[in-house]
Amino acid sequence: MNECDILVVGGGPAGISAIRSAKLGADVVLIDDGLKLGGQLIKQTHKFFGSAEQFAGMRGVDIANKLVSELYESGTKVLPGATVLGIYEDGVVNYSKDNVVREIKPKRTIVATGAKEKNLLFENNDLPGVYGAGAVQTLVNVYGIKVGNEVLMIGAGNIGLIVTYQLMQAGIHVQAIIEATDHVGGYDVHARKVKRLGIPIIFKHSIKRVDGYNSVEEAIVVKLDDRFNPIPGTEKKFRVDTVCIAVGLSPLAELLWQAGCEMKYIPELGGYVPVRDEDMRTSREDIFVAGDVAGIEEATSAMLEGTIAGTEAARSLGYPVEDDELEKAKSYLNQLRAGPTGKKIRIGLEKLLGKRHSFETNATIHKPSKSTMPKNKRVPVVECFQEIPCNPCEASCPFDAITIGKDINARPSVDYSKCTGCGICALKCPGLAIFMITEDYSDSESLLEIPYEMLPIPRPGDIADGIDRDGNFVCEVKVLGVIKGKDKTNLVRIIIPKEYADRVRSVRVKEYKNDKIVCRCEDVTEKEIVEAIRRGYTSFDELKRLLRVGMGPCGGKNCREEVLKIIARETGKSVEELEVGTYRPPTKPTPFSAFKNE
Amino acid sequence: MKEGSFVRIEEHPILTFPKDRRKIEFTFEGKKMVGYEGDTIASALIAQGVKVFSYSHKSKRPRGFFCAVGKCSSCLMMVNGIRNVRTCITPLKDGMDIRRNDEDE
Repeated sequence: MNECDILVVGGGPAGISAIRSAKLGADVVLIDDGLKLGGQLIKQTHKFFGSAEQFAGMRGVDIANKLVSELYESGTKVLPGATVLGIYEDGVVNYSKDNVVREIKPKRTIVATGAKEKNLLFENNDLPGVYGAGAVQTLVNVYGIKVGNEVLMIGAGNIGLIVTYQLMQAGIHVQAIIEATDHVGGYDVHARKVKRLGIPIIFKHSIKRVDGYNSVEEAIVVKLDDRFNPIPGTEKKFRVDTVCIAVGLSPLAELLWQAGCEMKYIPELGGYVPVRDEDMRTSREDIFVAGDVAGIEEATSAMLEGTIAGTEAARSLGYPVEDDELEKAKSYLNQLRAGPTGKKIRIGLEKLLGKRHSFETNATIHKPSKSTMPKNKRVPVVECFQEIPCNPCEASCPFDAITIGKDINARPSVDYSKCTGCGICALKCPGLAIFMITEDYSDSESLLEIPYEMLPIPRPGDIADGIDRDGNFVCEVKVLGVIKGKDKTNLVRIIIPKEYADRVRSVRVKEYKNDKIVCRCEDVTEKEIVEAIRRGYTSFDELKRLLRVGMGPCGGKNCREEVLKIIARETGKSVEELEVGTYRPPTKPTPFSAFKNE
Repeated sequence: MKEGSFVRIEEHPILTFPKDRRKIEFTFEGKKMVGYEGDTIASALIAQGVKVFSYSHKSKRPRGFFCAVGKCSSCLMMVNGIRNVRTCITPLKDGMDIRRNDEDE
C-alpha cells in the first residue's frame, strides 16, 4: 500500500495552502476531485477583499492560477480528478481515479473538502432551470456557457450579490434578487454594485413555486410576515427561465463523519462542523481540517486555516515549520474576523471552541458624511460605508493620502491635502466604491470617473445614460474617455451637469442609440417594425397591437403614414393596397372629466 | 433557449474564452451533437440547449444539473453504457454515447 506523511483532501484555497505549509520536509500528496485545481476560486471573477499583503485586490481566478502554478512548480504530488471515497478507523484512505479504487496510508490527513450549496424547499424546486447560484457561476465563468437569459436570484448574501453581478457581466439579465430577511446579508459594496445596474433587491419575500414544461418558464414569489410565513394573496409572477438558489453553504463533512471525528451542529458556521482546536486538529489526532468544511467563511480565511493546518500537521510529525508564517496567518485570521461583518463567525467559533472574543459590534452601514473635499481638483469620493476587512485603497496610494490603519476593518479616510488625484485607488478598490470627481470642471459641469466592468465599454464622444445609486436614469452624460486598468477595471470619464454630480454613480450605454424613431409617443423604432413585419405582422392594426405603434396620445397622426410606407416597402405592395387601420376618438389627449355632462 | 453557439459567451469584460477550439462530436439520445475541447458533458449539453438530463427514478420528473461541481446527483447520466456518471465534472470525449439515466433494470 502507498504511504505518505500528509495527505490533503481537496485542492481549493485551503488545501493548496495546507500543502504549501506542510511540504517543507514532509512527504505530501494532494487529492482533488475537480477537473482543475483551485476549488471555487477558479470561477470568482471579482477582486478579493482583505489585506493587500495577502491577495486582496486580485481576482479569485488569478489567485487560483497563481496558487496552482506554484504548486505544480514545486513538484508536489497531485492526484487530480480523484475522489476520496472513505477514511477508515485505521487511517487508511481509499480513492477512486479513472474508475479504479486505490488505497493510501497517510500519517496525517488534512480534510479541506469545502462546502456544498444549501437546498431550498419550494414547489417544483427540482425543475431544470432551478440551479445553485454557484453552479451557474461555474458554467458561466469557467465554461463560458450562457445557461439562461432571464434570471431570478434567491438570496442577498455575498454569493447572491456576486453571482448577480457576474451574470450581468456575461450578458445574462437578472430581474431581481429575492431576500427573506429585511436586509442585505452580504457586503454593502456588493449590494451597491448590483443596485447601480438597476436590479431591485426585494426584501421579506421568498420563492413559492416555479412552473414550466420541462424547464422553468415562470417563478412565483410571495411576501413573508415577520415570522417568515408566506402571506396569501401577495404572490408576484416573474417570467424567467432560470432561478438561482443562493441561500448559503453547508460544510461537506461526510469524510469526517465516517472517520469518527466529533461533530457539532453550529448554524452560524453552516451546520455540522468538526470539533477542532486552534491548530485545526480534530478529535482524531491524525486528522486536521481547513476551509469551509471547518465552518463556512470565505476564501481568504480558508487559505489562512490551510496554512495553520499544514504547519501543525507537519509539526506533529516532527518536521521543521515556519513559525513566522504561522503567527502571521493566525493574527491575520483574527483581524479578518474582528470586524462587524465577522460577528457570525465569532459567535460560531465561541460555541465551537468555548472561548469568548472581545470585539462585539453589529454590522452597521454608516451614513455618508458631509464632504469637505476640494472642488477644483480631481479627488476620490469613497463610498465605503460598512466596516469590512479590506485595505487595497490604503496600500495602493503612492502618496499615503488614504488611511485605514491597524484595524483592517476600519473605513478609509482621505487626506485631501496629500491626494494628487492620480486615481489609482479608484482602479484598485475591489468594491468599485471609489469614484473620481472634479467638481468644478467648468462653470456648469463636473467630471466624474466611474469604475466600470461591464460590456459594452462606452466610447469617447458617446452620449450615455447617467444612472444613480439605485439604477435609475438621472440625465444624459457625455463620455470624455475611458482609462483602461491593467486588471480590466476601467474608469469611464463622463461630463455631467454640476447639479447631478452627487447623484450620478453609474453609466449605461444607450441601447437604442442610433435608432430611427417612427412613433415618438411610444418610442417605436423602424427596426422593431421591420422585424415584426418579417415575422408576419403585416397590417397596421396588427403592428399597433404588437408594438403599441400609433397608440400614444397623438392618436397615430405622426406615424401611421410612415408605418404604411414601411409595410409597403417590406411586402412589395403599394400603400393604396394596404388597410389603413382603424381611427378612434379622441383626436387629442382629453381628460375623462371633460366628457361629463353639465 | 436557442440552440448552438448562441449560448456560448463570446465577449466578456473580464474573462477571455478560447476561440477556435477543437470540435468534439458526440451523441445525445442517439442524436448527433457537437461540443468543444474543454467542455464537460454537461456544459456541452447545455450549450446545445439540452436542459433535461434525466427523468427521476420514481416519479419521472424532469431533472437538470444543479450544483455543477460533482456534489449532487442531479446531472447523473448514462455515458457509453455506464450509469450514474457525474456529467458536470466528466470531460467530453469524441464519440461519447450519452443517454438519460432513466430506464430501470
